[in-house]
Amino acid sequence: MSIKKYLTLTRAGIIEALQFRLSFLVMIIGNLLYLIVIYFLWKAIYASAGTDVVGGMTFSDTLIYLVLATALYNFMEMYTVWEIGRNIQSGKIVLDLLKPMEYRRYLFWSYSGSFVTQFFLTFLPTFIAVSILTHGAISFGVNLPLFVVSVIMAISINYSIDFIVGTICLYTESIWGINIMKQVIVLLLSGATIPIAFFPEPLKSAMFYLPFQSIYNAPLTVLLHGGSDIESALRLMGMQLVWVVIMNVISIVFWKASLRQITVNGG
Amino acid sequence: MSSIIEIKNVSKEFKVLNRREGLKGSLMDLFSRDYKIVKAVDDISMTIEPGEIVGYLGPNGAGKSTTIKMMTGVLEPSSGEILVNGKIPYKNRTENAQQIGVVFGQRSQLWWALPLIESFKILKDIYMIPDSDYNNMLEFYKSLVDIDDLLHKPVRQMSLGQRTLSDILAAFLHNPAIVFLDEPTIGLDVSMKAKIRTLIKGLNKEKKTTVILTTHDMGDVDALCERIVIIDHGKMLYDNDIEHLKGFFGSYRTLKVRVDDDLKVESEIIQGEFEDLQVTSDDEWISILVDEDKIGVIDVFGTLQKTHKISDMQIEEISTEDVIKKIYEGGVK
Repeated sequence: MSIKKYLTLTRAGIIEALQFRLSFLVMIIGNLLYLIVIYFLWKAIYASAGTDVVGGMTFSDTLIYLVLATALYNFMEMYTVWEIGRNIQSGKIVLDLLKPMEYRRYLFWSYSGSFVTQFFLTFLPTFIAVSILTHGAISFGVNLPLFVVSVIMAISINYSIDFIVGTICLYTESIWGINIMKQVIVLLLSGATIPIAFFPEPLKSAMFYLPFQSIYNAPLTVLLHGGSDIESALRLMGMQLVWVVIMNVISIVFWKASLRQITVNGG
Repeated sequence: MSSIIEIKNVSKEFKVLNRREGLKGSLMDLFSRDYKIVKAVDDISMTIEPGEIVGYLGPNGAGKSTTIKMMTGVLEPSSGEILVNGKIPYKNRTENAQQIGVVFGQRSQLWWALPLIESFKILKDIYMIPDSDYNNMLEFYKSLVDIDDLLHKPVRQMSLGQRTLSDILAAFLHNPAIVFLDEPTIGLDVSMKAKIRTLIKGLNKEKKTTVILTTHDMGDVDALCERIVIIDHGKMLYDNDIEHLKGFFGSYRTLKVRVDDDLKVESEIIQGEFEDLQVTSDDEWISILVDEDKIGVIDVFGTLQKTHKISDMQIEEISTEDVIKKIYEGGVK
């Protein structure tokens, strides 16, 4: 198996992304606005709480977490569901299926270029800005390599979930509602919009056993606390690894079974 | 060498929900289990030899695309057997993909935002084309059509004709054994059509690529195909040389005459004289479709000359278009 045929798709994705210069600007402005909203929202929450520490997190803890979560979201969001749905509706999926490459891999690698561009254009600048502005809230040690591994596993889980939802579109032939539902569930239960520390106790432990927290909560926790508490960081990553395997198996099996739906009933 | 595509008694059925009308009907459809079976392809058999260009014709909705999708492996036949290159396509889709190229007229497989050359490079890596083969192919393309301007143009800025041309080039790039072209000349101008025909012919000749072509343009058929297969309502109507086609409904010729009087009135009179023949008229000519097995064109002309003052005449071979039209409209009896 040659890695070259996959990397060429990554390369194409990077070139493709670079064709649209203005979209970067718009995205950066959009992110800034979102971060401003988050800042004032949580400021108001902390002001009304009357204490400095809510759910074990100070205001600046929360803000650092959420800023990084937003950056991570921009970096990892793949819009796979839209892509699969659109391809099904337009019939382009037929052409993609006729590439000498398995569709699930083809789609992933077609997207991988956006990881690279988004990493350098949104995540890295945000990360640097946060670490400078907070004067060392992020430690630079073993947590960084762990974070990289953790993010890679998070991407894999996120892609598998997207792909499963995208596969559902084969049956429903509609995208919008399903995608919105997926997005809300993932963003809420993964800790991307509200840190998991804020959730009430029974829900918190339930979330620990769901795959979603492995997408945002796990890598962020590894990054922010992995330096001081390696043991729990490794436990989170072990959990991630389990979900990587489970979600990949489900998405592959579900896709194989559903492909019959296309080949039997027409694309 | 043995045949490259073998299709034996292949049928394809689709299950379609019976939709009802209106808002109430749509609401009821949500819970409906009322399916009907649509037979898109019905017991088709054919074999295709390497290097052939086969015109696969039929009216809209005849089942052409379904057959092509089965040959490419995207669809699984409901019954029957298909072998492409000795393999069952839907079971070996990814493997099969290496051996085939596909162009669907209205869709592009190219990278929308990128210049054409980038798409070619991506395809080169995906199909793992060796450098030398790739360069030879590009050189060969350059000898057939003028692609220097196209190579560095982003696909989204191309005209429809340029894009289709590019898509065809992309489909042939990995030198596949078979290329499926589904309505490649749809919506193109005359000169682009000619260019694309030259290209397909050239590639077929030089690379011995088998080409399966569906089209509604009889110009394509006349220019490219030696053999045509016609289907309608999923059933095969015709599979033979293009020469045989013309004799398919008897040996028809069209006799065209011009008279000094009003053409419409005259044509009605002629129709009255030859009740078996089909007489039509336009602004310039009265056309009489003559079946030479029954009556000679010259005999008809002789009879006409006695009663009408004919100022000009022409005899035309029946065109492929006319025959196909007759087959589509009349079916086979």
